[in-house]
Amino acid sequence: MTETPAIRRERDEPSAAVPAAATAVAGGELGGGAAASLWRDAWGDLWRRPIFWLAMAIMLVMSLMAAFPGLFTSREANDRCDVQFAKRPPASWNPFSGADHPFGTDVHGCDYWAQVVHGTRAPIVIGFAVTALSLLIAVTLGSLSGHYGGWLDALISRITDVFFGLPLLLGALVVLTAFPAHGIGAVVLALGLFWWTSMTRLMRGQVIAVRDADYVQAARMLGAGDVRIMVRHILPNAIAPVFVFATLNVGVVIGSESTLDFLGVGLQYPSVSWGLQLREAQNIFVDYPYLLAYPAIFLTATVLSFLLLGDAVRDALDPRLR
Amino acid sequence: MTELARRTPWAAGLAVLVLTVPACSGGGDGDGDGNKGDGKPKTFTVANQEPTHLAPGAANDSYSIHVVNALFDRLTKINSAGKVVNEQAASITSTDQKKWTIKVKPGLTFHNGEPVTAQSYVDAWNTAAYGPNGWENNYYFGNIKGYDALNPEDPDGDEGPKKAPKPKTDKLSGLKVVDGQTFEVTLTGSFSQFPLTLAFTGFAPMPKGAAADLKAFDQRPIGTGPFMLTGSGWEHNKQITLKKFAGYKGGRPAHADGMTFKIYASRDTAYTDLVAGRVDILETIPPAKISEAKRLLGDRFVATPSGTMDYLEFPLYDKRFRNRDLRYAISMAINRQAIVETVFNNAFNPTGSIVSPIVPGYRPNACGTPCTYLPRHAKDYFDKAGGFSGTLELWFSNADPSYEQWMTDVANQLKQNLGINDVKFRKIPVADYLSNLSDHKATGPYRANWVMDYPSAENYLTTRCGDANRMSYDGEACMDLVTKGNRADSIEESVRFYQRAEQTLLKDLPATPLWNWQNQQGYSKRVGNVRFDPYENSAHYDQVTVK
Amino acid sequence: MWRYAVRRVLQMVPVLLGTTLFIYVLVFALPGDPIRALAGEKPLPDSVYQALRDHYHLDDPLLVQYGRYVFGVLFRGDFGETFNGQSVGQLIADSWTVTAQLAATAWLFELVVGMSLGVWAGLSAARRGGRGGGTRRGGFADAAVLGGTTVAIAIPSFVLAYSAQLVFGLKLGWFPTAGTDAGWPMSYLLPGMVVAAAELGYVARLTRTSLVENMRADYVRTAVSKGLPRHRVVVRHTLRNSLIPVVTYLGTQIGYFMAGSIIVEGIFNLPGIGHEIWLALQIKEGPTIVGIVTFLVLVYLFANLVVDLLYGVLDPRIRYD
Repeated sequence: MTETPAIRRERDEPSAAVPAAATAVAGGELGGGAAASLWRDAWGDLWRRPIFWLAMAIMLVMSLMAAFPGLFTSREANDRCDVQFAKRPPASWNPFSGADHPFGTDVHGCDYWAQVVHGTRAPIVIGFAVTALSLLIAVTLGSLSGHYGGWLDALISRITDVFFGLPLLLGALVVLTAFPAHGIGAVVLALGLFWWTSMTRLMRGQVIAVRDADYVQAARMLGAGDVRIMVRHILPNAIAPVFVFATLNVGVVIGSESTLDFLGVGLQYPSVSWGLQLREAQNIFVDYPYLLAYPAIFLTATVLSFLLLGDAVRDALDPRLR
Repeated sequence: MTELARRTPWAAGLAVLVLTVPACSGGGDGDGDGNKGDGKPKTFTVANQEPTHLAPGAANDSYSIHVVNALFDRLTKINSAGKVVNEQAASITSTDQKKWTIKVKPGLTFHNGEPVTAQSYVDAWNTAAYGPNGWENNYYFGNIKGYDALNPEDPDGDEGPKKAPKPKTDKLSGLKVVDGQTFEVTLTGSFSQFPLTLAFTGFAPMPKGAAADLKAFDQRPIGTGPFMLTGSGWEHNKQITLKKFAGYKGGRPAHADGMTFKIYASRDTAYTDLVAGRVDILETIPPAKISEAKRLLGDRFVATPSGTMDYLEFPLYDKRFRNRDLRYAISMAINRQAIVETVFNNAFNPTGSIVSPIVPGYRPNACGTPCTYLPRHAKDYFDKAGGFSGTLELWFSNADPSYEQWMTDVANQLKQNLGINDVKFRKIPVADYLSNLSDHKATGPYRANWVMDYPSAENYLTTRCGDANRMSYDGEACMDLVTKGNRADSIEESVRFYQRAEQTLLKDLPATPLWNWQNQQGYSKRVGNVRFDPYENSAHYDQVTVK
Repeated sequence: MWRYAVRRVLQMVPVLLGTTLFIYVLVFALPGDPIRALAGEKPLPDSVYQALRDHYHLDDPLLVQYGRYVFGVLFRGDFGETFNGQSVGQLIADSWTVTAQLAATAWLFELVVGMSLGVWAGLSAARRGGRGGGTRRGGFADAAVLGGTTVAIAIPSFVLAYSAQLVFGLKLGWFPTAGTDAGWPMSYLLPGMVVAAAELGYVARLTRTSLVENMRADYVRTAVSKGLPRHRVVVRHTLRNSLIPVVTYLGTQIGYFMAGSIIVEGIFNLPGIGHEIWLALQIKEGPTIVGIVTFLVLVYLFANLVVDLLYGVLDPRIRYD
């Protein structure tokens, strides 16, 4: 249940816990030019950090595996599995020792290396899809709420509260148990349904801050319409921190997805994912530890890469250091 | 988190029989008498999960039945050879297998001292058969005359706005008290297996006062068995404490002073506690732990044959599955042996028969070639059937992770051996699974499980051949033979008809047998004389001694 | 402040109603029939089926059912009944103590270990903070704490739980592997650590950042230049102010711990709230699911309210109106 508190702790009053990047860029009084230079400075800082490059390297490998599993294994997913050859441990702990099954075989007699490689795609696709979906909801609702205020704001805020009170995993669990159609789409919807709330609050806060900025007031006085102000002035300035926040939390979504798989309410055959592999390993890992270890390492590395990237970006963007 | 459905363990399909029968020994063969000694009461603990009901007429899951079995004696019991013998009945006789005369032994009492009479049985059966009471064992009384009057049908089906009318009577017309200890039962048709069915806990008697407050009776039943509830009784989700019934005069007196059912949320924890010596008896060791249990418990690990079967049933209402060659192909493409080895640690037995080995008339692999793993032949049948179009969806419930595990193996084998590449799973929440099947919503082969009610082939065959079968299988030929078996004068003769019925069913193969379960049980060093037999899913609690 | 509290409580009402309605609809309005499942593989005659449906009021229109439910909860404290005739209120009361003990263990663990790590790392960073910028990496302690806790966050909690169970429970035998037999704290230490592990990093980091920032604040510089001893400055001035965001964070964690225990309670077989809701979900036991979710949301909202009020107590700059 790795759920980033960044999401939970975000509150009406921006606290120190909100990613520094978010508050920093939003700042309100910062115009477009200031924000741009902030990002340029951040990049200048980032590329000198080894942690940043480590995170990027892991992400690159995982993305390649997700997009082109054929580069890593000649087998398809669930290819040539025979239960008669199940649970054969790897010949050695060194996967490059040239054995037939470098990671051994799983409980169904599938080549575990191939299955772990194919298990990359689903979590990564779901991680980004849920993030995109939540961003869409958050930007729409947050802008409406922040820009118009009044009863619309009250309504959206209360709806947000309703979903905010339900923890991501519990909510997704209830929804997925109720609708037992377990494809990638269903998992994305279930997670997305509970993932947008903090971003919406953040977005709303940003819009309110930017709305009152001098340059927006100026534009309004010059006669710009609602839509124009929104699209040209408010959105570009308000969206950046929300976007950064969302991207850095992709790892959390991936962790939640694997937890749902593990609980048996997420993806299912013929889908292949690390969470499913961990689920199958749970009862027999005492005798077959490698079944637990390999997918756990891949999953941890992926989530870790997002956390490290988040750390690096947060540090680089922190204006209090300048 | 393997055992998920604590409150519907029967649906979770644990390795247990729904039918539990009283202990078979007449007592006195125990090698120790637990209640004498240093004065401290000698009690033992049994791992159980939270029961749903304790009233015999309502208790239909194995965890409830474990407890009911300790609390109640019934008219008959099934001995370790699978033969029916009298328990509280002095005699059960019939000339036409339709009208039965039952004499209850005199001198037996309930835990409150009230005598057990013919009326006690008639009251209990009327209560369970009366639909509005909502007792789950209601359907077992369906072949007693007058049942329909107590259970009027919903005039427009489940979906319609009208509700079933309230029954005009609450007494089964087929039950008649002749004198204090004698009553007559009239069935709707001849049924030679009737005395067998009476061993089921659902047919246990009920004391006079119980009808006034059924809910109280369900929570604190007053029984007739070797053990009775103590003052603290059923502490939900925690334990059920029983003590020896001092006034017991039946055939299975308790050796220990008392027993406690400790309630576990999962059988994995229960197993951990058994190994650690924190609980004395566990009747459901998880299949994944079997090799470890053999190693750790030694001869305190006991495996007994079971009546429970797993099948793969085909939805014949979907015309793709009406082709028998396709069903043969799928059946022959499944490597039952390999699955049993990997998933169940060889604890289950691959099978090609509809009935379990513990049922009279069982023949090993009655099915023959169509239920044997022959990938080449399977492919031939598959091609002959013209292949398969569309997505092959495999249905099962989420009650236990092992279902998904073996279904994945089946899917891989169908892919490998038949070349069906588009296989998908429909994993249904256990609460919805069976209604999906009976409503004919399954769009592909589905996991079917049968827990034996009483050791007769009839119990397996009627469900699959009868009009109400879920597969839309036209089982008229099979059912004719079953009916002939029901009417037959001797067990031997009925068995011959049942075997022919099984043969007919297997030739059409609307359902292919997969494996027969075994019960895996274990006990601690504290207790002795722990006996299990195939017709009993719980240990013979009465005979258990405490060291 | 009281007016603020009352207003917040009033705001909770629509949120609570919305949440329960949402869950209620989700659980009750969907196809599928828990009553039929009660009969297992055996047929359930119409009459029995109808009697049970009536008992659980499953045939009333949804809003009527929901209305009856809310009415029962509000005016009779009645959360409904499980399928084995137990009151859901009682079930929650029984299981909540288990979850509360687990949450308390995890919370204490986070408070003590997390904040200690954070202070350690923070002081280490601040010491080297002279050049380059204060919240940058500094010192071995800083790197070790950040690195270690980040990895702990990245490992899925169920992997952590199984590994801990295997190593500390089974192999080393330091803790019971499962169950609550050993009582508090023994039975709860291992699961408590697992729950806390995922959050430890955030507490440590928050403490560290907050501390470092405060150490660079003008009032601290003033204090130091006035000649006050360094440790006194840290203890008297910085720590208190640094802890405000940490307290806020830990407060919101209470709600999370209550809900976040599904997996850990399952693996360690603790019969708490998370375990009960998981079991209820499997068999679609509506009253239990809705009851527990309502309870969790209440705890969550209440914890937030307390935190906000506490926030004002700790930070005099915040005023409620």
